[in-house]
Amino acid sequence: MNDKREFSWIVIFIWAGLFSIGLIAIYSATQGPVSQFLPSFIQDNFYRQTLWIALSIVALVSIQFISPRIFQEGAYFFYAISILLMIITIFFGVEVSGSKSWLRIGPINFQTGEITKLTTILAAASYLTGRRNITSENLKTAFVTVMIFAVPVVLLLLQNEAGVAIVYIGILPVVLFWSGLPYGISLLMVAPALIGYFTVLNWKWGILAAIIITIVIFFLQRRTWLTVTSLVFGALVIIGTEVALHHVLQPHQRARIEAFTNPQLDPLGSGWNVLQAKTAIGSGGLQGKGFMEGTQTQLRFLPEQWTDFIFCVVGEEFGFIGSSIVLLLYIFLFLKLLNMASNQKHPFAQLVIVSVTFVYFVHFLINIGSATAVLPIIGIPLPFISYGGTAFLTNTIMLAICLNLDFNKRTFSIYR
Amino acid sequence: MSNRQNEKSQTAIRVLQGIVILGFLVMFGRIVQLQIIDYETYSPLSMQNSLRMERVKPARGLIYDRKGTIMVENQPIYTITITPAKFNSHKVSTLSTLLQIDEELVIQRIREAQNYSWHRTSRLFTEVSFEVFSAIQENLWQLPGIGHTIESKRHYPTDVNASHLFGYLREASLEELEASDYIRLGDYIGKSGVERIYESYLRGERGTEYIRVNAYGQALGLYNDGALDIPPVKGSDLITTLDADIQALAEKLMLNKQGGLVAIDPHTGGIIAMVSAPQYDLSKLSGRIDANYWRELNTNPSRPLFNRAISARQPPGSTFKPFMGIIGLQMGLITPQTQVYNPGFYFRGRRYGDLADPGNYNLDRAIAKSSNTYFFWMMDRIASRGQLNTWSSLIQDFGMGPLNYIDLPFERSGIIPDSTYMNRTFGERRWGIGDLMSLGVGQGMVSVSPLQMAVATASLANGGYRVQPHIVSAVKEPNGEISYTNPVFEKIEWIQPDYLRLINQAMMNALMEGGSRYYGYIPGIPIAGKTGTAQNPHGENHGWFIAYAPADNPQIAIAVLMENSGFGSVSATPIASLIIEKYLTGEIKREHIYNHVMNFRPQIPLARSVENE
Repeated sequence: MNDKREFSWIVIFIWAGLFSIGLIAIYSATQGPVSQFLPSFIQDNFYRQTLWIALSIVALVSIQFISPRIFQEGAYFFYAISILLMIITIFFGVEVSGSKSWLRIGPINFQTGEITKLTTILAAASYLTGRRNITSENLKTAFVTVMIFAVPVVLLLLQNEAGVAIVYIGILPVVLFWSGLPYGISLLMVAPALIGYFTVLNWKWGILAAIIITIVIFFLQRRTWLTVTSLVFGALVIIGTEVALHHVLQPHQRARIEAFTNPQLDPLGSGWNVLQAKTAIGSGGLQGKGFMEGTQTQLRFLPEQWTDFIFCVVGEEFGFIGSSIVLLLYIFLFLKLLNMASNQKHPFAQLVIVSVTFVYFVHFLINIGSATAVLPIIGIPLPFISYGGTAFLTNTIMLAICLNLDFNKRTFSIYR
Repeated sequence: MSNRQNEKSQTAIRVLQGIVILGFLVMFGRIVQLQIIDYETYSPLSMQNSLRMERVKPARGLIYDRKGTIMVENQPIYTITITPAKFNSHKVSTLSTLLQIDEELVIQRIREAQNYSWHRTSRLFTEVSFEVFSAIQENLWQLPGIGHTIESKRHYPTDVNASHLFGYLREASLEELEASDYIRLGDYIGKSGVERIYESYLRGERGTEYIRVNAYGQALGLYNDGALDIPPVKGSDLITTLDADIQALAEKLMLNKQGGLVAIDPHTGGIIAMVSAPQYDLSKLSGRIDANYWRELNTNPSRPLFNRAISARQPPGSTFKPFMGIIGLQMGLITPQTQVYNPGFYFRGRRYGDLADPGNYNLDRAIAKSSNTYFFWMMDRIASRGQLNTWSSLIQDFGMGPLNYIDLPFERSGIIPDSTYMNRTFGERRWGIGDLMSLGVGQGMVSVSPLQMAVATASLANGGYRVQPHIVSAVKEPNGEISYTNPVFEKIEWIQPDYLRLINQAMMNALMEGGSRYYGYIPGIPIAGKTGTAQNPHGENHGWFIAYAPADNPQIAIAVLMENSGFGSVSATPIASLIIEKYLTGEIKREHIYNHVMNFRPQIPLARSVENE
């Protein structure tokens, strides 16, 4: 058997640190001095989250006793089950604030889209293991991988959960890149997001981004067709974004974009959340206003403070010190996980750990980016900190699998 | 696994580590920027967010009568407001349930508010009950865009209505807003009566309150336990010279009549009671104004908003005679012994009628029996000698004609003609003695208000002092400090005690022997009085009565004008007499006179003709 000392306890500590901060923030956001104005089901969030954490601890421990082979061999089965659950959700799910992403099983509500993150990663990893033959000439494997991701994305869009869908789209280039997709093409995959982002800020920056990306692609691949594609692609993205901004988008959608680029335009309307989020974090200062003392939090200037805007609670009440600790915990976690991946010999394990890392990273980037107005507001939770049982459990299971794979890294390769 | 592949993995790991670290650095840089560099920007923003400065309206000052009875006080009214842009239309049914108001009406009111403004707060329902108000308050969290305010309205706890004295409050007009530093949009200010004159005392000082609020605008309590708050200063109270009982009686007696009544304390000029009939219902103009009622008031042909007591212009008729007598003595036209024969008329170019019995009249008898001849004769001599201006100025010394500067708005001067006036009216040298004759008996161009007659009568009662009529005797500040108003009280230099003694006797005789004795005489109380009847070419004559009592030690002077009511002795005298009786004895023993007054109806041509149309 493996030596217990090889178990990555540091990851457990980071995990515990994050969920503890989460519990404190959820408590403050839902049990504060004026929480009587909150609906009662939200006031119960703290206790529910505690239960989910307890359940997750059980799951985490249990998973350590499972043979890592199960994850690879059962990957397609899990994938199929989770896709099936998502389809069921579309027809029989519970609708919560506009999105039909919850499946009620007994007293518990499951967010099936969350579980599918894990199964999609496993399925893609399983498929790609041994097929690291993606080159710029042979993109068939890449195409199949895209399809594995496309199914849950489409289902999520049907559930009206565009935010979660973005996470899948965010991990896909990483998965493909890891599996051998040439750097240039990988960059081309993320190029639309980057160019689009800069175009929203200012179309001149968009052009600059497109040119730089094209030049980088040229130096990476030195293929004329790819470079031309990149340039045309970049131009299309800029034009498309501009046209969409000014002609295609509905006023409320445009308002959301404008709220991001210029919240002062409509401070009481669409710019409200952006402005209030920045105000909450900014007014925290160095030390913060203190636990349950944050006026922005306690006076409910922001919606969804226990999920999408939970970073504002931390930022306001615990200040720069508190938010730095959160950021540091995350960067340690990410680097530790990437380190685990690089120590793995088994491509399946590597791919799973890398993918899990980037699931966390994309959540981290979008959530904190939204809260600090670096990105337009996209409502997705902060891993291990935000309230949300299914998400917490899924994230923990993913972490547990990584730990399991890491713990068994010597024995696992034998199974191959 | 080949080395090449492993090497490739390591490069990929480096790239991914780079991306992760880059992401971390961007976010870290951002929080440094927000929390360290821009802290100074966001900290005050969050303060503003959670604090709301509210103006706290002070309680308006109360109005007391001379005995300390509260006649005007404040009553809270609960108002539900709406900001349509923030309101969620799915909440209409919740709102309607809580308001206990039909859903359709709620929707209609919301639509009206939307038409006014989507972003400004409008009143949705005013004067809701306290229970409804509490229910809304408890459920504000689920009713975004709905708010509430507590305002106050005037409340009149006694039987006293005194619409023309107290006056009503209304929202300040744009001009008033611009003219004042204090008044804010939506403030209610006194528009008439003492509410208007004493507005700056009654309104008090606005306070400010800093209230912690949440993102829904729900108040959570005082900021810093109210350390920064400036409490409002309650408005000063007005202590009036009114007597609530007498005022209520006067209003009752003037019910269904048209005219004016002024009862005055002859030693101070303090108004004991004042009525302009018809009155209007002040309580209907308090708080939410009934638009239909307001329209009716403004279109009613009997003009209820018009204060007849201080603004009417009517010839005083025979009530003018006592003053003519004093002036005649002062001008040396007559002595107490002067006798004028009355053949039933006075002739000067034409016959001037006299209804008194033919015979010889001295001053006493001329006043007591109200003979016209004596005064026509006197006026003839004044006019013939070209002493019109002397006469006019002496009459005006009594307060007839000029403004008396009572503390009420819209007081109007009367008309006591002098040569300037005559020239202006008829043209230079186009008027003669014939145009002046009727002035001697208080007819023709001379016109006065009940207030002016009351002031003049007070001078007869108090030994020849000119009083400044006033409603408010003192202003009591919230800290208890009382400042007294200083109404003018000065001797009319030329009036001799002898003159007054004569007139006093004559006016007492008028009540014992004259036409007013039946309704005017009060057993045990000596009254000096004089009736008058003003000729009215447009309809029934106007009745007048002036009096003071007790004649030997006057406590009250009174003037009553009854429009379109015929002889003053029948219409005006009983009212004045009942008020004197009540004021001096505290009760009314003469039931039959009270009943007579209550059943008396004037014949108002204008109202009738309007009805016929």
